[in-house]
Amino acid sequence: MKLKSVSSIIIIAIFLAGAFMPAGLKQYQLNMLTEIIIFSLYAVSYNLLLGYAGLLSFGHAMFFGLGAFMTAVAIIHIPGLTLWNTILIALVATIVAGFVIGGLLLRTKGAYFALLTLAFNSLFYAVATKWHTVTGGDDGLSIKRPDLHLGFTTIPMAGLTPFYYLTLIIVGAAIVFCWYFTHTAMGKTVLLMRENEDRMKFLGYDTNISRLILFTFTGAVAGLAGTFYTFHFQFVSISAISVDMTTAVLLMTFVGGTKTFWGPILGAFVYIILQNYLSDITDRWPLFMGIIFVFMVLFIPGGLSEVIMNIRQRLFGKKDNNGRKSTVTEEVTS
Amino acid sequence: MSEFPVFFLHGLAYAGLLFLVSAGLTLVFGMMNVLNFAHAAMYMLGAYFSYSILMHFTGQLWLPLMVCPLILFIIGAFIERFLLRRVHVYGHVQELLLTFGLAYIITELVKLYWGNYPLAVNIGGFLGSTVSIFGITYPVYRLFIFLCAIFVGTVMALILYKTRLGIILRAAVNDSEMANTLGVNVPLVFMGVFAFGAALSGFAGVIAGPLLSTFPGMAQEILIDAFVVIVVGGFGSLGGAVVASLIIGELQSFGVLLFPKLSIALVYLLMAVVLILKPSGLFGEEQ
Repeated sequence: MKLKSVSSIIIIAIFLAGAFMPAGLKQYQLNMLTEIIIFSLYAVSYNLLLGYAGLLSFGHAMFFGLGAFMTAVAIIHIPGLTLWNTILIALVATIVAGFVIGGLLLRTKGAYFALLTLAFNSLFYAVATKWHTVTGGDDGLSIKRPDLHLGFTTIPMAGLTPFYYLTLIIVGAAIVFCWYFTHTAMGKTVLLMRENEDRMKFLGYDTNISRLILFTFTGAVAGLAGTFYTFHFQFVSISAISVDMTTAVLLMTFVGGTKTFWGPILGAFVYIILQNYLSDITDRWPLFMGIIFVFMVLFIPGGLSEVIMNIRQRLFGKKDNNGRKSTVTEEVTS
Repeated sequence: MSEFPVFFLHGLAYAGLLFLVSAGLTLVFGMMNVLNFAHAAMYMLGAYFSYSILMHFTGQLWLPLMVCPLILFIIGAFIERFLLRRVHVYGHVQELLLTFGLAYIITELVKLYWGNYPLAVNIGGFLGSTVSIFGITYPVYRLFIFLCAIFVGTVMALILYKTRLGIILRAAVNDSEMANTLGVNVPLVFMGVFAFGAALSGFAGVIAGPLLSTFPGMAQEILIDAFVVIVVGGFGSLGGAVVASLIIGELQSFGVLLFPKLSIALVYLLMAVVLILKPSGLFGEEQ
């Protein structure tokens, strides 16, 4: 009970802080922050698969890219499409794709699953590259952000600041919803399935259905992130659906840490800022990213959030250990 | 209809290359239960090393064919001993992530050193010439690839099933604790298997150089096809890899001839069908 009210206060505080950001930040910093929020959602959705369900996918970019492309294609081909309907179309497309692909791939596990997700990502990439008339192929698609219709008024979305607020509210709400999801019965089921699937089956849970629902859900969330990615850059190219986009989310999630909910958000922060900083000083920033990634895998498998948790426990560990074991383990498993 | 025999031979050549790549992959997976995402990156390294050797020393392919597998063997042993073994205790996800990260780093290093553009490898001599069989003029090199694949496959099968080394290998896989107790150095066996897989990938890379162009995307390209081969053939099955390589090689080749627009989707379609009908692959054991 107490944990939940503390979390709510933190969430409200973050949103309030986010609301004041446009006043204090320069234009390019606000640009970066918008990107960070979008990629946070993408990373959070990935971590629901990897951290919570223990499913290692190398194909998350297919949903991100599908959402991004559906958005651009819908805006180009349907004149006068509203912002909400654009999001809706992209969501429906990713849900259908997630359901079909999940149904096919979730029959396999572990390394098989990882390999097949990579293969399907490549299929999506190949289709996006070759289907030039729809996706624009190597040239990509340029769009204009649709305005936001609220019934009584219309807010133009051409400027960065209104779009930033839109991102903060909708993408932020989606992240909070993901967090809420991990606390629902469904979220707990997924977690327990990772720990002991046989026991869950024995208790009468249909683990295949649960896994399919989770896979479809994370796909849809990644698709929403993709939609906002297209809105943000007002452009989408095949890089959005390439394996590099999967590598990016893998890096974010891993740098941040898979064992906490907020780890991937921290990872997205670090990744985007590092990327901007490194790409200024060297052309070879992917190499540095790769080295950081392998270093993390080898020496800090829990990511930055584990480091922070360890420090916190060392400083305040005694207090937490009074009644219950500690907040660390509680957050890891709940 | 006169193209048919030519495309059939093209298919055989590509099947040969696919087998060389996927044999190492499926060997490492079957023996160590590690799916090596860096396998194709090491194959690419083999191709680039070969390019440099051909440029600086000799135009003959025999030198890189012997040297590159050796270099890759050492790299593979190093990776297994100092990187893979460290993360083994954390489980399979960590191993996959490590090899994925290594593939990423190797690709970036290749771009850094050799540049982000295709390099052409030309071989002269007998291998670069053409020969006339059954009234068709055909490049010798493509036939050479197929022969190499047969040679490598036969040697692997003989080692695995007919020698003492093969028995030790299979024992270490089946029951590593018992093998260890009986005096087999199991960690060394695993290091050897991984290094041998890497050497095979290097060999395949050298072979691929003159057939396909050498460029930083070549790893990604072959990786997917090799994955499809081991999914269709069955994980860890050498015989499955042979059959699946032949099917996919011919499918690729005739796909380009008969349905040029659909050719990229055909391979995935085959994989999807196999997944639906028999998820463990044609020759795989049930999971």
